[in-house]
Amino acid sequence: MSHSPRARSLLSTLLACATLALATPTATAFDEAAAKALAKQNDCFKCHAVDKTKKGPSYQKIAAKYKGKPDGEEKAIKNITMGQKVKLEDGTEEDHKIIDTKDPKELKNLVQWILAQ
Amino acid sequence: MKKTALFLSLAALGLGSAFAADPAKINWAKVPVTQVPLFYPGQSTYEWLRSDEHKNAAKEVKRGDACTACHDEESAEKDIGNKIVKGGRLEPTPIPGKSGYKDLKVQAAYDDSNAYLRFQWKTDNPYPGTEHQYLRFDGKEWKVWGFPKLDKPVQQGKEPGIYEDRLSVMLDDGKVPGFNKQGCWLTCHDGQRDNPKQFTKEEVAANPLLTSIKKSDVRKYLPETRTDPSNWKTGKTVEEIAKLKADGHFLDLIQWRAHRSHAVGMADDGYVLEFRLSDSGRDMFSGNSDNATHAPKFMWDEKKVGYKSITALQLHKGDHFLIREQNAVPFDPNAGWKEGDMIPDYLISREDAMGSAADNKAIASWKEGMWTVVIIRPLGLTNDDDKALKPGAVYNVGFAVHDDNITTRGHQVSFEKTLGLGVTKGTKVDINAVKLP
Repeated sequence: MSHSPRARSLLSTLLACATLALATPTATAFDEAAAKALAKQNDCFKCHAVDKTKKGPSYQKIAAKYKGKPDGEEKAIKNITMGQKVKLEDGTEEDHKIIDTKDPKELKNLVQWILAQ
Repeated sequence: MKKTALFLSLAALGLGSAFAADPAKINWAKVPVTQVPLFYPGQSTYEWLRSDEHKNAAKEVKRGDACTACHDEESAEKDIGNKIVKGGRLEPTPIPGKSGYKDLKVQAAYDDSNAYLRFQWKTDNPYPGTEHQYLRFDGKEWKVWGFPKLDKPVQQGKEPGIYEDRLSVMLDDGKVPGFNKQGCWLTCHDGQRDNPKQFTKEEVAANPLLTSIKKSDVRKYLPETRTDPSNWKTGKTVEEIAKLKADGHFLDLIQWRAHRSHAVGMADDGYVLEFRLSDSGRDMFSGNSDNATHAPKFMWDEKKVGYKSITALQLHKGDHFLIREQNAVPFDPNAGWKEGDMIPDYLISREDAMGSAADNKAIASWKEGMWTVVIIRPLGLTNDDDKALKPGAVYNVGFAVHDDNITTRGHQVSFEKTLGLGVTKGTKVDINAVKLP
């Protein structure tokens, strides 16, 4: 099978783009295993599940609230680091648990995973 | 397990009804298996669960929320059990090597006569836990020898840990408030044996409820039987408790015991109300120690088994069951006893078991580190201390395994589960018993 020079050029450009896309982390890349491990270690799953309401909202509901907003990630990080009052699903309020890490990379990774649900 | 013991178990089943399946021939390969995770709970009592120590959950527990409303995450039971068993605020005296978690395989079937509940779990030890406590001659007198591992004499290294393996089922037909949400934890309280604020003899003696039912310690009870559910000392009157029982506000408690019921092909039958009680009638086991002399009442029949007693060297070598109608004779105090001679502390009898306490039969075997136990429970029992099993009905259940020479809190337990007997499609249960052909 033979291709014209133009077609060959287009094919190699597409291939290069695809390779680049696979090799370069995107802005929303996160380490799912590390995020889940940190969440588990901090008992997050006692109150939250990915797709169902528990004591707190599902991660899908949280993602829908913050995803795509310029300050979404920042607000989500505040919620898990500042001990802010949060409204529970039963209507009562409680201080949100403060995540037991101060590593910004770990916090960012966790929040990015939550917002990707 | 010896073939003779298996034969005795099968013979003892007394398969009377023409409509009952032979439990030894049920094709379990065709019955669905439910994996029930069991975990070590330590001292997570009813009271602890409602305290601030149970972080961010006291309010929810008091409200009556299910344990699994929070603890439903992936590997929840494994995480909790493995954490508690190592010791800490919920386990003051950790047992070295104790498993924090066990997989319990559960299968269920029924026919026109019986329900058949099959359980499988791996033991921590490379032998079956069929030994139970002994009476040992110390050269002068007979004393109890061997204790459960949470007891002080074992913790202090003065006695060996010896106690039978056990599989327990708590069952309710929906009448006990909260059991469908919080399961066995309704029955586990501060003040009980091996729990925080354990009772004293004086406290029990001063308690009108326990003295009226002639009890000398504190065991499982339902919150409804106390005026303050979190205080075992505040018992309701005997009349009020009788009313609760008549209204079905009690839990059936079926316990298969690797020594005291397994030896005669049975599981015991009890219930939990104001105490952990035996059903009416007579259990298949009784104490073998004479109240006055503490000497054994029965010993092995040497003509039948070749010995009157054993020593510690024979432990875990064969089945050491003392069965009244099979291999026991009255104790002879002048038989030339030597220091170290041992006779079982319990006498077992299928023939003496009677009434409601003798409802449950069982077949069990231990092979390559795993117990397989089939409990056979008649359908439609009408005793006032039983929960009747009926086709089409759904029950709330909790399971527990006592493994590696231990009792009281030293078990692995399940969260609340549901058991159906041939329920129709669309009715969601954890375990659905299949109708046998």
